[in-house]
Amino acid sequence: MAKMILIIEDDDFLQGLEAKKLKKEGYDVLTAMNSVEAFKILNSNTKPDMILLDLLLPDVDGFMILKRIREDETLKKIPVIVFSNLSEEKDIREANKLGISDFMVKSNFTLDELADKIKVLI
Amino acid sequence: MNPEEKIKKLEEENEKLKLLYSKKSDIVSLSSHQIRTSLSALKWIIKMFLDGDLGALTTEQESLLKKAYEGNDRAINTVSELLFANKTEDIIDKAYLFAKIDLTELIDNTIFDFSGEAYNRGIEMLFLKPNTKIHSVNGNKDNIRVVLQNLLENAIKYSNMHGKIFITLKEIDGMVQVSVKDTGVVISEEGKSKIFEKFYRDPEAQKREAVGSGIGLYTIKKIVENNKGKIWFESEKNEGTTFFFTIPIFKS
Repeated sequence: MAKMILIIEDDDFLQGLEAKKLKKEGYDVLTAMNSVEAFKILNSNTKPDMILLDLLLPDVDGFMILKRIREDETLKKIPVIVFSNLSEEKDIREANKLGISDFMVKSNFTLDELADKIKVLI
Repeated sequence: MNPEEKIKKLEEENEKLKLLYSKKSDIVSLSSHQIRTSLSALKWIIKMFLDGDLGALTTEQESLLKKAYEGNDRAINTVSELLFANKTEDIIDKAYLFAKIDLTELIDNTIFDFSGEAYNRGIEMLFLKPNTKIHSVNGNKDNIRVVLQNLLENAIKYSNMHGKIFITLKEIDGMVQVSVKDTGVVISEEGKSKIFEKFYRDPEAQKREAVGSGIGLYTIKKIVENNKGKIWFESEKNEGTTFFFTIPIFKS
């Protein structure tokens, strides 16, 4: 069975490109534009094998989502890659503190490199 | 206007300037994020074309798209430099909170942060720790981290592939001295007198990395001096470049 990835990204164009690439790599892909959509998926019976998380979202920031994921017994073991264009040290430190598998600055990576990273992690 | 009124007016003007500066900083940060988002999309789309995901390309199309991809990457680097300059100007101007810092630990952590980047270029970073315990220093941890990051980043950027970087630590006359030695680009004769000037970029460094703000070494010199230390370098042909800086030992 294909592994499932949840992409939490509010830019629909970037989200579309990420989803297209990961589907091509053989993953099942779910998408959310904000925290409400993300938790609608995460609170259902379908749990993703990995979460790709943007940090600047229209409702709450990605750190809040990450914190809630790590506090939830049913979700806390899901690996999370922060995939954002924020790159300040304080953001990286904050995300690491909350527990992530990697912090990738979107503009510094190609989608192939993102797919390679996911392959290593799940 | 009496002296008290003058001081009050100056204080008000100062507050206004601080607010304006903070707004400028926020605008730069937010705009950079938005520009990066657009550049990321462009990067991924061009890569899809180059990988043939959207059909075969003619030789001319491929050559032009490669140029577009490289140009886009240069723009991404420029935005990163802009963000760095924005952040470091903040650092220079901020009031300093001094505390006891274990430099050995700080260097270990900073080396770890750059290990991925060094690995990708086949560069080995060697921290040659002294046999005896080094005293803690008195300084601002966040700012000294910026100094170490900048020196390591430059050492990686300007080292030859598969080169080595040596980091040492020792005590001299009430100061702890750190050195970062690379085996890469040698600073030009002109650069030897100008390397710490704001916006100056050494011609030898420009040959290796076209994009750069020329603000990194200027910033870290200010930081080291604000931490009551000194910074200097030695650069010799066939030897590479070594940057040294000192920070006073913490006295309880």
